[in-house]
Amino acid sequence: MTGVRISVRESLADLTSLAVLMLAAFIAIVPVLMALLNSLKTDGEIITNILALPQVPRFGNYLIAFERTRFLRSVWNTLVVLLVGLAGIVLFASMAGYKLSRTRGAASGIIFGLFVMSMLIPFHSIMIPLTRVSRTLRLQGSTVGLGIIYVGLGVPLAIFLYHGFVKSVPRELDEAAVIDGCAELRYFATIVFPLLAPVTVTIIVLNTLWMWNDFLLPLLMITDMTRYTVLLSTNMLFGRYGNHEWSAILATLILAMLPVVTLFLALQKYVMRGIVDGAIKG
Amino acid sequence: MVSTEQLVHVTNRRVALSPTVKLLAFTAPALVFYVALVLVPAAGGIWYSFTNWNGLNPTYRFVGVQNYVEALVEDEYFIASLLFTLRYVGFMVILQNLFALVLALLVEARRKGRLVFRTLLFLPNMISMIIGGFIWLFMFTRVLPRLDPAGALGFLNQSWIGNPSWSFVAILTVSLWAGVGYLMVIYIAALQSVPQQLIESARIDGAGPFRVARSVILPMILPAVTIGIFLSLNMSFKVFEVVYALTGGGPGRATQVVALNIFEEAFNMSYRYGYASAKATLLFLVVFAITLVQLRVMKKREVEA
Repeated sequence: MTGVRISVRESLADLTSLAVLMLAAFIAIVPVLMALLNSLKTDGEIITNILALPQVPRFGNYLIAFERTRFLRSVWNTLVVLLVGLAGIVLFASMAGYKLSRTRGAASGIIFGLFVMSMLIPFHSIMIPLTRVSRTLRLQGSTVGLGIIYVGLGVPLAIFLYHGFVKSVPRELDEAAVIDGCAELRYFATIVFPLLAPVTVTIIVLNTLWMWNDFLLPLLMITDMTRYTVLLSTNMLFGRYGNHEWSAILATLILAMLPVVTLFLALQKYVMRGIVDGAIKG
Repeated sequence: MVSTEQLVHVTNRRVALSPTVKLLAFTAPALVFYVALVLVPAAGGIWYSFTNWNGLNPTYRFVGVQNYVEALVEDEYFIASLLFTLRYVGFMVILQNLFALVLALLVEARRKGRLVFRTLLFLPNMISMIIGGFIWLFMFTRVLPRLDPAGALGFLNQSWIGNPSWSFVAILTVSLWAGVGYLMVIYIAALQSVPQQLIESARIDGAGPFRVARSVILPMILPAVTIGIFLSLNMSFKVFEVVYALTGGGPGRATQVVALNIFEEAFNMSYRYGYASAKATLLFLVVFAITLVQLRVMKKREVEA
């Protein structure tokens, strides 16, 4: 009798938990699905029946979105920012993280402390002088310049993650290399850096997400429309108080989220690990 | 042409360099970019906050604490944005962690479909807040009112964006939609590190699922809860994109958060860079204080553990 009662109670609890999870998952994806559904309708259809399937799927909305946002151009601009930013962050942070982790003494502690300090500084507190500094350094207005700014903003967390990971690389390797008379930079590049691959993946994932999804910094740095990133081009379509032409806008929003969502679904394992590592160790 | 011998000579000499010089050589590239693009602007921000610098006029002068006094005493919009942000932070810290923890527990308790639920619940976090904000603008202005035109359900057909108290709910909804999955993933990682035998033996001792969650799992993942609380504190004090996309701070300036107030002051309304820097420095002080408390709490935990 008791056994039956427990199993009834258990399956009831199981059903409740399933229901809660399904509701949560529904809320999570329904806005995206509604955007997708209505991006294939005419504006008239959106007004008359928001839930119905489109009479004919209007893929033309995507063509309009493509043209208005100069999509390929915007993706290219974003990729330039990403490549410059990732190259600089991975290269400079791995070198610095490795050496800081291996060197004892006051100088090493002070430099590491300087980098850790950045985690106390919110972006909004530096954004105003940053616009002036970037103008002086001629970084403002170009995608390469934007990538370089991301290097400055992104190295601290990457150094922090590399610094922790380098401890797992045996020191005996260092000593062997010194005996062989191997130049340290070459030793680092050929022996140590490949061993840091797991944390390099984490850093690439975290920074790709950050740079692709960041809006405020590009907004401050890029004014020329031909250099707009994907998010800036998307934002441009919104005349806030005008009549929203939702069909084209929704198509644009779907297009703009597509690359990063695809990447996430393909590399989910790494993304989740990266998020957890970045949050807990950062 | 450089001969091989010369190259060897150069490399050998580099090996003989002092450790400090080598340390500087390895850290210099990162340091140069970081100092120029983070530390110099950070110091500049504090310096400018004591001046009347504006973006249009090349000359400026030192005005002491006048900007701070103005921000905290006279600027009712800034004070309102501070209070609004505080209210937002309070709701976010509680709700984001609560939802994330409950969902993490439920997902981890499932035998089947764990991966599917985790993926779906985390997905919104991958979407830029600015895009998420625009999608939800569509939901609030077009979809939700249409679902319930007669107002039978009572709450769907609202002026979500036009009425300040409802737009607060709207901003919270979108922030939670985007942010719960993030903390959930962190909580799931923490739950996976709880030894399974501990849960099993509690079950054998006759503890029900709630009892197990409260008395066994919760104490084990308390460090993760600390992290979750500080993450949401930090993120929500800096909230910007959601509000920018959803309400633009409106109606009027009713939903203006601190970051948006600073942004508008500097780049949209008055170009008073010095004054906006004072507000930015105040934001920095708040985040700084939170982080210091965080470090202290975490250190204490580590000692206890």
